[in-house]
Amino acid sequence: MAKKTYDLLFKLLLIGDSGVGKTCILFRFSDDAFTTTFISTIGIDFKIKTIELRGKKIKLQIWDTAGQERFHTITTSYYRGAMGIMLVYDINNEKSFENIVKWLRNIDEHANEDVEKMILGNKCDMDDKRTVSKERGETIAREHSIRFMETSAKANINIERAFRELAEAILDKTAGREPGGDGNMDRVLVDKKPMTNTTKSCCNN
Amino acid sequence: MSYKAKLKEFDLILEQDVVKLEDLKKLSFHGIPDDQGKRALCWRILLGYLPEERSKWKNVLTEKRKLYKQFIEEMIVMPGENESNGDVTQGDHPLSINPDSTWSTYFKDNEVLLQIDKDVRRLCPDISFFQQPTEFPCEEIVNSNDVKRLHTRVQRRILDCANVERRGLGITKIALLIKKACEDYAPMEEGKEAHWEVVERILFIYAKLNPGQGYVQGMNEIIGPIYHSFAMDPDLEYREYAEADSFFCFTNLMSEIRDFFIKSLDETDHGINSMMSTLMMRLKTNDLDVWLKFQQQDLKPQYYAFRWITLLLSQEFPLPDVLRIWDSLFSDENRFDFLIYVCCAMIVIMRNQLLDCDFSSNIKLLQNFPPMDVQIILSKAVELSKKPIF
Repeated sequence: MAKKTYDLLFKLLLIGDSGVGKTCILFRFSDDAFTTTFISTIGIDFKIKTIELRGKKIKLQIWDTAGQERFHTITTSYYRGAMGIMLVYDINNEKSFENIVKWLRNIDEHANEDVEKMILGNKCDMDDKRTVSKERGETIAREHSIRFMETSAKANINIERAFRELAEAILDKTAGREPGGDGNMDRVLVDKKPMTNTTKSCCNN
Repeated sequence: MSYKAKLKEFDLILEQDVVKLEDLKKLSFHGIPDDQGKRALCWRILLGYLPEERSKWKNVLTEKRKLYKQFIEEMIVMPGENESNGDVTQGDHPLSINPDSTWSTYFKDNEVLLQIDKDVRRLCPDISFFQQPTEFPCEEIVNSNDVKRLHTRVQRRILDCANVERRGLGITKIALLIKKACEDYAPMEEGKEAHWEVVERILFIYAKLNPGQGYVQGMNEIIGPIYHSFAMDPDLEYREYAEADSFFCFTNLMSEIRDFFIKSLDETDHGINSMMSTLMMRLKTNDLDVWLKFQQQDLKPQYYAFRWITLLLSQEFPLPDVLRIWDSLFSDENRFDFLIYVCCAMIVIMRNQLLDCDFSSNIKLLQNFPPMDVQIILSKAVELSKKPIF
């Protein structure tokens, strides 16, 4: 048997419309780099990153999916095994935001009931082209009791923080809410620092 | 065989009054020379665009190119210019709820276009070709003040805002913020057109002509290598009509592989799922150990082979290697059976690593196939295809 280099394995999934930046978010998180030279994801892609949370080594197995309808049959088959799902939209693309509801329905249909979810409004570095206000993102997240953050893979805003928070939420659940852990009782956790889009996570690098 | 001798062999076949398709397939299977536009010409024949009779070529090309020009006229240049037939009050308008409204078609088309636009702007980013201007832009479009350009239809517009500064009673200063876009796949100035814009047009026309299927992500990866080969032809005339010719070759190719792109056909004989199970069966016959390992790790072909097969391996290798692989795929008597052998060969070649590694490493390996001499893979595929099937 191969030696185990981690304590826990979490399976995460990235979903959302085509072109919202799912692959870039994942690349920023796994390789700490940004490039616009990405080809479109066909089917499903895959990355691994091990992080440390509360003294535990957690291996994140992250699946990146294709956005277009045609690929839904192959991508929805991954929903079931996922422990956490990131729903991504583009703050400059109204349609991708409207479709969040559709993606949420997809999750309800195909994922485990207790899957941890988080909504990400990506490309928040391009504030001058914004068409979806941060408040609208927060509202929809609150309505569905889901975490929410605005991110930028390009400017490296909130990427690491988003993954860590999602992983932490899963850890809370798996550990059965350890005493002393900051288990969030109301589960609604919108971005703590409103209006300051440029807050970088302290956990970078 | 020396390279020169090989070129000569191709010439011998291609200069016959009637090109023997069988001979051409046999020869092309082992790779078509990169020079003298040989590949583009052979692909035109292998994909059934040009007939075997050389005497007919001129006519076919003239006819088809004319037809394509007509498609552009009807679908891109003209719309909106022909609805003034008769009563103005019956006329069409953007808010019309009539399903036959030209405007409603226009808006539906734009949804398709939006997807195409996203994808052509990320086509083959590792080479600069698609961001370069074409020598032969479509004149009616590039000189239309951007009105007819497809991507301007789906450009996200934001209202310009200005800061008005007033100092006392003096003049009002309006500070306009001008943001420069520094995109690699940026649209060209009036009169010019980048190759990615040409590809966008081809895909849009294809989607319009095939409404049942429309545009599916990944089609850009199929047209890319074809258009690239045609647009690089040393022959001026061929280069000039690269767009029309590659459109028809793409259409012919799609008629053979379209089932991969249609969700409702996934389970049919030529659908993607059956291709993937054939691959697994062949792997089982040729390398039981790896097959067992995959079973044990629950490593499904959907994780890697879905993309391999759907895109004819175009995302797995650098462009020159893709072209070489396609020579063989297009020459396959039993299209696209050989593709499955190539996929199987890719797995078998990696067997030692695959048997050694865990699930994650194996997925990574298969999704990011290591660079290697593509000839090794093709030879292995031939070897596998010659093995008797039990």
